[in-house]
Amino acid sequence: MKVRTIIMFSALVASTLCFAQSPIDGFMKKKGKGSITLSQSMESYDEVFLVPEKVDRVPVFDQVDISATSLYVDYSLTDDFMIVANLPFIRSEGRANEANQENNGFENEREGVQDLGLYTKYRFYTTKIGKSKLDFIGSLGIEFPIGNYEVDEGLQSIIAIGNRSTDINSSGIVTYKHNSGFFATGQIGYSIRNNDVPDAFSNQLKLGYAAEKFYVDAYVANQISQDGVDILGEGFNGFFPATRVNYTRIGLNAYIPVVNNFGISGGANTYVAGRNLGVSTGFYGGLTYSF
Amino acid sequence: MNILHKINNLIFLFIVTTIIFSCETESAYEDVPPTIANIAVSNPAFSTLEEAAITGGVAVTLSNPNPNDPSGDYTVFAPTNDAFARLGLDENTLGVLQKDFLTNTLLYHVSNGNLAGNNISEGDMSMSALEINRRFISRDNELFINGSKILATDVDAINGTVHVIDKVMIATGGNIVESALSLNDAAVFVNPELSFLVEAVVYTELVDALSNPDANFTVFAPTDQAFIDLGTALGLTFTEPSDIRQLPQELVTAVLLNHVFADVSADKFTSELSAGRFDTLGEDTITLGMYNNGLLSVSGSGNMSPANMVIPDVQTTNGIVHVIDQVLLTNM
Repeated sequence: MKVRTIIMFSALVASTLCFAQSPIDGFMKKKGKGSITLSQSMESYDEVFLVPEKVDRVPVFDQVDISATSLYVDYSLTDDFMIVANLPFIRSEGRANEANQENNGFENEREGVQDLGLYTKYRFYTTKIGKSKLDFIGSLGIEFPIGNYEVDEGLQSIIAIGNRSTDINSSGIVTYKHNSGFFATGQIGYSIRNNDVPDAFSNQLKLGYAAEKFYVDAYVANQISQDGVDILGEGFNGFFPATRVNYTRIGLNAYIPVVNNFGISGGANTYVAGRNLGVSTGFYGGLTYSF
Repeated sequence: MNILHKINNLIFLFIVTTIIFSCETESAYEDVPPTIANIAVSNPAFSTLEEAAITGGVAVTLSNPNPNDPSGDYTVFAPTNDAFARLGLDENTLGVLQKDFLTNTLLYHVSNGNLAGNNISEGDMSMSALEINRRFISRDNELFINGSKILATDVDAINGTVHVIDKVMIATGGNIVESALSLNDAAVFVNPELSFLVEAVVYTELVDALSNPDANFTVFAPTDQAFIDLGTALGLTFTEPSDIRQLPQELVTAVLLNHVFADVSADKFTSELSAGRFDTLGEDTITLGMYNNGLLSVSGSGNMSPANMVIPDVQTTNGIVHVIDQVLLTNM
């Protein structure tokens, strides 16, 4: 159980690093334990969920490829209280043709350090039920832009690397773990955002299995913006952060320990439904050092 | 143990149901009607229009209600990709047009309010957002706006109505001479055009006549290449517009007048033209070929082969210009 739990802890860290995924998982670590993860993700889309119809080409840019390099650190101050930090460097590339670049001044690359996320995580209740364990966790965090990337460049901002908003994110998490290794995590969150970015409700359900030599999970995650405008819809003024972004996303994560506290992880994810969002599919790989 | 199991199951059920109920419902993707801009972006047949709207800076405008009309609506006559392709324009070549001209051209396709297809009838006029009128014409039981055939009507948008047309409509906002000058000065295309024609009009002192605000001319305007080819045919070398002055003024005058319909009371779009022989302001006649896919060939009595229309139906303030690829020759 102990070994398995450690693996699970390390694994969950790596699995949360992808673009647009909550950096908070449903697991706690013993006091003084922590981890550092460096990950690389890639995602790409040429279709966009517009309203009312999905379109088969990204306006202006044809296709968008996003790669992100992220640094993630977590540390347990007590058995029930953790801090988490996450910082991605993002590169977003479009494929606007030469004429479009010349005529409209569009550029095919935007990159930079995006938003720093700082989170606290507190387990306020835990209980054993037979061969299972149930944790109730609350999380509060803030994300704010560190880099000086632009978001108000009109249609150029289709490939902006972020929203330049400060977000206050809160979430409640319930984790169910069975001794056999199966687990389920349910997470419900609310995000308050500035810079005209609509506040959003989010949730995630993750089902997984953590054995001694490997870890795997599958999840479905949703976001529903509380208001906002549709791209090229009524009220749209060319400012993309103000758009109403909803989505349903599914993904897989896997992790295996390698040697001397190091482990590697990998995963894939895609959007099955959405609003004002690229129909993106992505992959990532990560290296984790646990201590 | 039994109770514990029950609690266990209940909590698990709670998690699952919470997730399911908070999953995205229909309302998250509610079926709002598209805006005009969205129609252009969503339909592959309008991809050139989409790029034009982006470059011309009207994409955001057409995403929103029309502030200049109580209904909040626009009516847009939307040229298909094929319509743009007639002018050699697609997503990659729109850059040959100056931005202001492109914007004005788009505005010429837009009007305030909802003009439903069944409210369009022959002879009606419609004021564009460029503040230049368009007119509706009926030919063979089909409706045209200017020289452009209306292919489909009443595509509904939340901020108006879209009708589909088969040709891009062009209006210059100036008279015939000013229009030729704006091409010459590269205000339309990035590269100058009609420079030889402008030079010829100046050389023959026809500027005032062709600027007459009370006339409604129908003019066939040869391209620069047409004049260069003419020079070659005459055994001369035309490299710049002033080379036209190698020809006698009387001859150039006679040739130019051969490019304007004698009837200056009613200008004609292609949709109003049919095959036949037409008197010109000169002493000769010109002959139009059959109306075919929105175009007619045109030839002077001295031409070996007929000229083709390159840019038909250009609306000016005192007439309609059809740009052609040959000079119309008289019997010399």
